[in-house]
Amino acid sequence: MRSGKTIWLLLSILTIFSLALTSCAALTPENAPAQEAPAGESAAPEPTTAAPASADSTSTEPVTITVWTHAGQGGEREAVQQFMKDFNAKQSEYAVELIELPDGSYTDQVNAAALAGDLPCLLDFDGPLLYNFAWSGYLTPLTGKIDQAILDDFLPSIIEQGTYKGELYSLGQFDSGLSLWGNKSYLDAAGVRIPTSIEDAWTLEEFESALAALQALPEIEYALDMHFNYGRGEWYTYAYSPLLQGFGGDLIDRSDYSASTGTLDGPESVAAMQALQNWINAGYVNPGQTTDDDFYGSKISALVWVGHWMYPAHSEALGEDMVLIPMPDFGAGAATGMGSWNWGITSSCQNPDGALAFLNHMIEPENILIMTDGNGAIPARKSALAQREELYGEGGPLNIFIQQLEGGVAIPRPITPAYAIITNEFAFAVDSIVNGGDVQQALSEAAAAIDQDIEDNNGYK
Amino acid sequence: MQKKKSNILGWQKTENVLAWIFASPALFFLLLFVVLPFLMAFIFAFTDQRLVPGPNPTAFVGLRNFLRMFSDARFLRAMGNNFLFVIVVVPIQTTMALLLAVLINRKLKFVNIFRTIYFSPVAITMVVVSVVWAFLYEASANGTINQFVHFITFGLIGPQDWLGNYKLAFPAIMLLSIWQGVGFQMVIYLAGLQEIPNSLYEASQIDGANVFQQFFNVTLPLLRNTTIFVVLSTTILAFQLYSQVEVLTRGGPQNATQTMIFYTKVMGFEQGKIGYASAITVVFFLIVLTISFIQRAVMKEERTVK
Repeated sequence: MRSGKTIWLLLSILTIFSLALTSCAALTPENAPAQEAPAGESAAPEPTTAAPASADSTSTEPVTITVWTHAGQGGEREAVQQFMKDFNAKQSEYAVELIELPDGSYTDQVNAAALAGDLPCLLDFDGPLLYNFAWSGYLTPLTGKIDQAILDDFLPSIIEQGTYKGELYSLGQFDSGLSLWGNKSYLDAAGVRIPTSIEDAWTLEEFESALAALQALPEIEYALDMHFNYGRGEWYTYAYSPLLQGFGGDLIDRSDYSASTGTLDGPESVAAMQALQNWINAGYVNPGQTTDDDFYGSKISALVWVGHWMYPAHSEALGEDMVLIPMPDFGAGAATGMGSWNWGITSSCQNPDGALAFLNHMIEPENILIMTDGNGAIPARKSALAQREELYGEGGPLNIFIQQLEGGVAIPRPITPAYAIITNEFAFAVDSIVNGGDVQQALSEAAAAIDQDIEDNNGYK
Repeated sequence: MQKKKSNILGWQKTENVLAWIFASPALFFLLLFVVLPFLMAFIFAFTDQRLVPGPNPTAFVGLRNFLRMFSDARFLRAMGNNFLFVIVVVPIQTTMALLLAVLINRKLKFVNIFRTIYFSPVAITMVVVSVVWAFLYEASANGTINQFVHFITFGLIGPQDWLGNYKLAFPAIMLLSIWQGVGFQMVIYLAGLQEIPNSLYEASQIDGANVFQQFFNVTLPLLRNTTIFVVLSTTILAFQLYSQVEVLTRGGPQNATQTMIFYTKVMGFEQGKIGYASAITVVFFLIVLTISFIQRAVMKEERTVK
């Protein structure tokens, strides 16, 4: 008995000790692991904290520029690390220190840093979350600091996204594309017409009869994969507010961004959300989806409503069968989402010139292409786009995205500091609607909450 | 005599000073990280403090946050859910813990293995438990729980969307919470059981008591203090329901699993309304405090030293 207990005791001590030693090894800076999220994983990643990749300083002390970025998918991370290395190598005045923060809590951490006055020099923001920071005075305007020739080369949507109250606060390396992707063999088997450009996009009736026809196929469990597995978050607003706009509704009255009531809970928006509820009730969409690969893995879905980031996974899994379909015109003109991560310089930055230099480095067309080759997004500059004709040019697999961005189909998310509230409340409403709640009530509650916040903040003047 | 007296006083004084010196680091951190945020929360509750300070300075808004709270349907649902959770989980978990403790309080050959098995869920953090149960609760027919239910009801009950169904989501969370927490209470009860002298059981046997009578007349009364502690701690922990909701349902579907702490997090960090979130925490604190007082008053502890 006695010896038995001693052995167990020794074993436990040994186990804990070796575990502690292993973790010590992982803590040393040289072994900083850069764990990649495998391509095609859902947008809710593991909460790994990446150790800061410190810049190697040369003999004359370069000025350190802290840069924060969200640790996105593998391709994005590698690209940003590449930018840092190239920038540090090609000049010795500045040294960029790159810190990658976990995607899921990135916004929380940035908020916490803003509160603590601890923001880095340069960081990226997810689309419309920029405006609250700009309004709160945390960002320096870029107006006049970037060559006009460069700015003209950018897609107008990027400039629109980065502009608040007439000042340019950010630039993004890429824009996003959101549309329907289809599995050609299923579509052909169901006899569904495949649109070739935004001119002949499906109408609401065509779309719904396509869903019915596809649902009837034996292999199909859910005709349309809407990625509810991403969970209640920014995805809901990004992906499903275009549905509102396609029916003629919207999240907020964009003439002065002062109120949501009347727009978000108006008859057009209600009709849009009601249609979504109908599709779920008809069995076309899985509201309780937990899997990510209904479209490209298990192939139980023929259509998927998702963005450009799935291009690598889709093309690898479906090959020739993959087809990008323009957003249907639900009655008020086709509408789709746009906007993505963009970089801004903070007002607390001690060395804004260094941050500007790094930003200029990142928006060079070659570097933009490094990023977009890795994450499948749409390059923000026309000169970069021109180098990827086979993808984005006429007849290319992703040409629909360009058509939507340049043809006015893509609508930016509301450009207002109230955006965080808008997206949160809308996501609550969608969650309710998707689970069978009353559409009018859910939207009215959301609109009321948004209006109250705008009022509390004196209209965000 | 007098010398001794002053020596004793001197020694006591030195002891006191030493005690304060030793305690001061811990007290300092306690003050800094517990008392100070506590006070800050109380103050913020009366302001419109935002997470990211904007150009508008933080203003005192009096009772506005509290008034809004009690007309906020989501908050009321969260509060209701918390109460429901406590009313259901505390009795069930306590009873199960007691029964399990009684079950393993015997000298079987491999009883330690059983004790380990029953206790092991406690050693796993709630987040990991939630992730595992997310797979168990898989809504399709392949989900483990669905298959189990299918099996024991001979196919009468089909596959359910446990976490997405408005009526099933909260019970599902209750179930996994009980599963995770029962081991901890069981161990406490085990300690309490082992303090009951065997002679009492022998005496009751001589008096002709059967097993049930022994349980109700010997075991339960002597477990009074243990039960008070278990119920109190389970109640307070139950009110803090957060991790499972964050991982599994995020308050949905339609606020079926909304809880006060989760709602605080949403309002505070997702919407940036720190003032409002602080007001919620103040209300939460008052509720838990009140319930603890009530419990203590109702279940008067037995004290050996009067």
